[in-house]
Amino acid sequence: MTETTHIRNFCIVAHIDHGKSTLADRLLELTHAVAEREMRDQYLDKMDLERERGITIKAQAVRLGHQAGGRTYELNLIDTPGHVDFTYEVSRSLAACEGAVLLVDAAQGIEAQTLANYHLARDAGLSIIPVVNKIDLPQADPEETARELGELVGWRPEDVLRVSAKTGEGVTNLIERVIELVPAPQGRREDPLRALIFDSTFDPYRGVVAYVRVKDGVLSSRAKIRLMAANIESEAEECGVFAPEATPAPELGPGEVGYLVTGMKDVHQAKVGDTITIAGRHRAREPLPGYREPTPMVWSGLFPAEGGDYSELREALDKLKLNDAALRYEPETSQALGFGFRCGFLGLLHMDIVKERLEREFGQELIATAPNVEFHVVRDGRVTVVHNPSEMPQPGTYDHVEEPVVLATVITPSEYLGPVLDLCQSRRGELVDMKYLSPERAEVHYHLPLAEIIFDFFDQLKSRTRGYASLDYEHWGYEAADMVRVDVLLHGEPVDAFSSVVHRAKAPQYGRRMVERLRELIPRQLFDVAIQATIGSRVIARETVKAKRKDVLAKCYGGDITRKRKLLEEQKKGKARLRRVGRVDVPQEAFIAALRVDERAGEKR
Amino acid sequence: MTAGLYVHVPFCLTRCGYCDFNAYAGLGHLAPRYVRGLEAEAALWAGEWRNERFGSVFLGGGTPTTLEARDLAGLLARLRDRFDVAPDAEVTVEANPDTVDQAKLSALLEAGYARLSMGAQSFDPRVLQSLERVHSPGSVRRAYANARAAGCANVNLDLIYGANGETLGSWRRTLEETIALGPEHVSAYALTIEPATPLGRKVQVGLVPPPDPDLQADMFGLACELLGDAGYDHYEVSNWSKPGFECRHNLGYWERRPYLGLGAGAHSYRDGRRWWNVRPPGEYLDMVEDGVRPIGGEEVLTAEDERLEEVFLKLRILEGVASDSVAAETAAAFVDDGLLARRNGHLVPTERGMLLLNELVLALAG
Repeated sequence: MTETTHIRNFCIVAHIDHGKSTLADRLLELTHAVAEREMRDQYLDKMDLERERGITIKAQAVRLGHQAGGRTYELNLIDTPGHVDFTYEVSRSLAACEGAVLLVDAAQGIEAQTLANYHLARDAGLSIIPVVNKIDLPQADPEETARELGELVGWRPEDVLRVSAKTGEGVTNLIERVIELVPAPQGRREDPLRALIFDSTFDPYRGVVAYVRVKDGVLSSRAKIRLMAANIESEAEECGVFAPEATPAPELGPGEVGYLVTGMKDVHQAKVGDTITIAGRHRAREPLPGYREPTPMVWSGLFPAEGGDYSELREALDKLKLNDAALRYEPETSQALGFGFRCGFLGLLHMDIVKERLEREFGQELIATAPNVEFHVVRDGRVTVVHNPSEMPQPGTYDHVEEPVVLATVITPSEYLGPVLDLCQSRRGELVDMKYLSPERAEVHYHLPLAEIIFDFFDQLKSRTRGYASLDYEHWGYEAADMVRVDVLLHGEPVDAFSSVVHRAKAPQYGRRMVERLRELIPRQLFDVAIQATIGSRVIARETVKAKRKDVLAKCYGGDITRKRKLLEEQKKGKARLRRVGRVDVPQEAFIAALRVDERAGEKR
Repeated sequence: MTAGLYVHVPFCLTRCGYCDFNAYAGLGHLAPRYVRGLEAEAALWAGEWRNERFGSVFLGGGTPTTLEARDLAGLLARLRDRFDVAPDAEVTVEANPDTVDQAKLSALLEAGYARLSMGAQSFDPRVLQSLERVHSPGSVRRAYANARAAGCANVNLDLIYGANGETLGSWRRTLEETIALGPEHVSAYALTIEPATPLGRKVQVGLVPPPDPDLQADMFGLACELLGDAGYDHYEVSNWSKPGFECRHNLGYWERRPYLGLGAGAHSYRDGRRWWNVRPPGEYLDMVEDGVRPIGGEEVLTAEDERLEEVFLKLRILEGVASDSVAAETAAAFVDDGLLARRNGHLVPTERGMLLLNELVLALAG
C-alpha cells in the first residue's frame, strides 16, 4: 500500500481522435508498466470492438510507477469513455480522480467534446492540466491551440504543455507536471470504508469484477462488503491493482485504484456510481455522492431475422447484460416481425455496439426497428411514458406530449456557421448563444430535440461543414412538442414496425418518404397494394404497388414437368421466408431496408 | 386411358438464341445412325409397354424434318410394329419452315404424319431477327401453303411473344396474319429467358432487356381476344385450337397420362415414376447400340410431388382441380378475385388466373 501523499489519480479527457489512447500507450511505455514486447497499440482498450472502432467503451484503470526527486510515485491513470452516450460513466470516472489532462490536437484545436469534458472535469473539482498534442504534425498550430486552450482554462498560453504522444516528445515532462499539479488524495485509513465503483464487468470465471477507487478506509481482499445503493452484501474474493494486468494485492488503501472480485454473480448489483463499504458495525453512514440509475435515452425493437430464434436472442441479451448494466430490454410482440425485444440504450453508439456484439459474439441475425426517443404523454396531469411508437395513443386522447431536449454544443469553422445554423433551425432548434473562439472558429449552443439528433443529424452536420464541425450534447429535460404518430398501412393493415412519432410539421415529408421507399421494396402481389401513411384516420401520403399480372411457365411438356415442379418448390421456399402483413407478403429485406436510418448521429464515422 | 409416344430428334440447322432444348447444330451426319438408334431403343421398351395403347405419336426436337422423309416414314412404321399404336392415333411431326418442301410434306402425309406443327414464331421480320430465327415470314407462308397443297388438314403454328423490340401492334399483326392463314391449332408462348442460353447471358449482362411481364400480359390478353373471336378455344395456358383439334398428345402431359419418350434426353412417365435419357446424342447412340436402355436419371414421385403435379398440371387446362382437393378458403378468395371459376365441382383458371398460375398453385397446393 502506498501513502496517499505519493498517489496521483488522474484521467485524460479529449475530443475523439485527439490522441488520448496514444498518450496512454506512451505513458505505459515511459513508466515501464508494459514490457516493450507486450506493447500493442491502444493497450487499454480491451475489447476487439474497441480497437477496431478506435473508441473506448469501458473505462479502464492502470497503475504506473514513477521516480521523481528520489521518491516513487503511484500514478493511477483512469481511462474514460469518450462519447456522449456515456456521460454518466465519464462523470463517475472523473469522480475517481483528482486531476485531468485536457488533451487537444494541435492541428484541430478545441472541439465540442473538449468543451464538454472540460466542463465535466471542472464541475467534478479536478485540477486540470491543459496539453497540446500532435505537435509533430506538419499542419499543427501549437501556438494558436495553446492560446485557445489557455483562454478556456485560464492559463497563460506559454504555460500550456506541448507534447507529441506519437513520438514521446514532452511526455516525461507531462508526468512530472501531473505529480506536481494533481493533488494527492485525501482520506484516512481509520475512517469507515467508502470505495467508488467507476466501472464493473462480468468475468465468466470470477463473476462480477468492480473497478474501484477507495476514498476512505481500507478495502481488504476477503472483506465482507456492502453495496450501499444496491443494498446488497457479499464476501469479496480478491482485490488488486492493474499493473497493467490484474495483480492481486492484500488491500487497497485510501486514494488507491484497483479492482475487486466481488463474489457477486450479477453485474446489475454492482452498478457504476455505487459505494462499497464494509458490512456490519463499521459500515459508512453516508454513500459517496452522485449515484444514479442508468437511463436509456434511445429505444429500438430488436427481432430475430428470418430463421432466427426468439429464445436464442433472449439468451444472448441475458448474457450481454452481464457486463452491460445500462442495457434494458423487455419482450415485445410485433405482428409484422414476430417476437422480439424493445431495448433501451444510452444512445445511438451504445445501440450500435449492442447490436454488433449480439451479431458478432452471439451469432444473432437481427432486424432492428428505427430508433426512437422516449415520449411523455400527459393527460390530466398524469404522465405516461411511451418508448414504442406503436403504443403512442391517437391524437385527441391526451392533453399534450413532451419530448426529450438536449443542449447541443457545435464548434465549427466560421465559414460554415450559416449552414450549421440552418441545420439547427430546420431541426426545430432554439439558439441559446454563440461566440467566436477565434476569428476562424465559432461555438454555438442550441436546444435541440433528441429525436432530431438521432435522425441523421451528425451526418448532416459533417456533410455541411466538410467534416470540420464537432458536436456534443447533454440532456436538458422534457419539453412539450406537437408530436404525432404516423402509421404505415399496407393494403389497409397498419404495420406496427413502421410506426413512428414525428413532429406534426414534418409528418407529411416523413410519410411521403416511407411510402415511396416501400413502393420500391414491396414485391407485386396478386392485387393492387395500397401503401398509406396516416395520422389517425387521415391519409397523408399514398402509393400503389400494381398487381402482378404474369407468373406462369409458358411451356410445360414432358421434360419440363420435373423441372417445373422443382421451380415451384423453390418458389414455395421463397414464400416461406416472407412475412405476412394482412394479405400482403413482405420480404425480410424490405423490412430491413425500410427501417434503416441511412445515417447515424453521434457516431465516429 | 391411352399413352403418348414421344420421339426426340436433337438436330437443328442452327441454334436459336433463346432455345434451351436438347438440340444441336452440326450433328446432321449422325442422322442415319440416329434413326437406327431410335428403332433399337424402341425394341428395348417394347416388352414393358406392350399392354399400353398409344393414342398419339409426336416427333419433336430439335427439328425432326432435318431427317430424310423416307427415314421418318420408316421410323413411324417400325414404331407401329413395336407398339400398340391406335389406328386413329394423332401423329404429329414438328417442322421448320425452311426444311419442308411440298414433295417432302406429301411424303410425310403419305407415311401417316397427319398433323404438322410448324415453328412460325412471328410474322414480323424484326422479331424473327431478335429471336435469331433464320427463316422469314415469307417462308412460313410458303411452307403453310405447301402443307395445305399436300393435303394436310391439321396444322399447328407456334408463336412466341414478348421478344425484345416487339410491340403490341406488331403482335396484333402476327396474330391477324395467323388467323388469316387459318391453322387448326395455335400455340402462343410468352418468351421465357432461360439462363443457360446465349439470350439468357445477354440479358444477364444487360445487353438485352428482359421481357416486360406487363407487356406480355397485354399480349396474352390480345391473343385470347383475337383467337377467341376467330373461333379458337383456349384450352391450355399457351394453346388454342378449333373445336376438336386440341393436341391429344400434349393433353396427355397435363392430364397426367403415361408417356414413353425415345431419343436423346427424352422423358418418360408411368406409374408414379419419371425417367429421362442421357442428353448427348453420341452417348445415347453408344448405349442403345450396346443394347442398354439409355437412362440418365429417374425420380419416383412422392405423394406430395403427385399432389403438386396434379394441381399445377390440371390447372393449366380446362379440366381444373376438384374443389374438395384444395383449401376451400383460399380457393374462394381466388374465385372472388376472378382468378378461378367454379365448373362442375372443379376449379378452373380464368384467363387472368392462367397468367398467375404459379401463385395460384402455391397458394392452393403449397
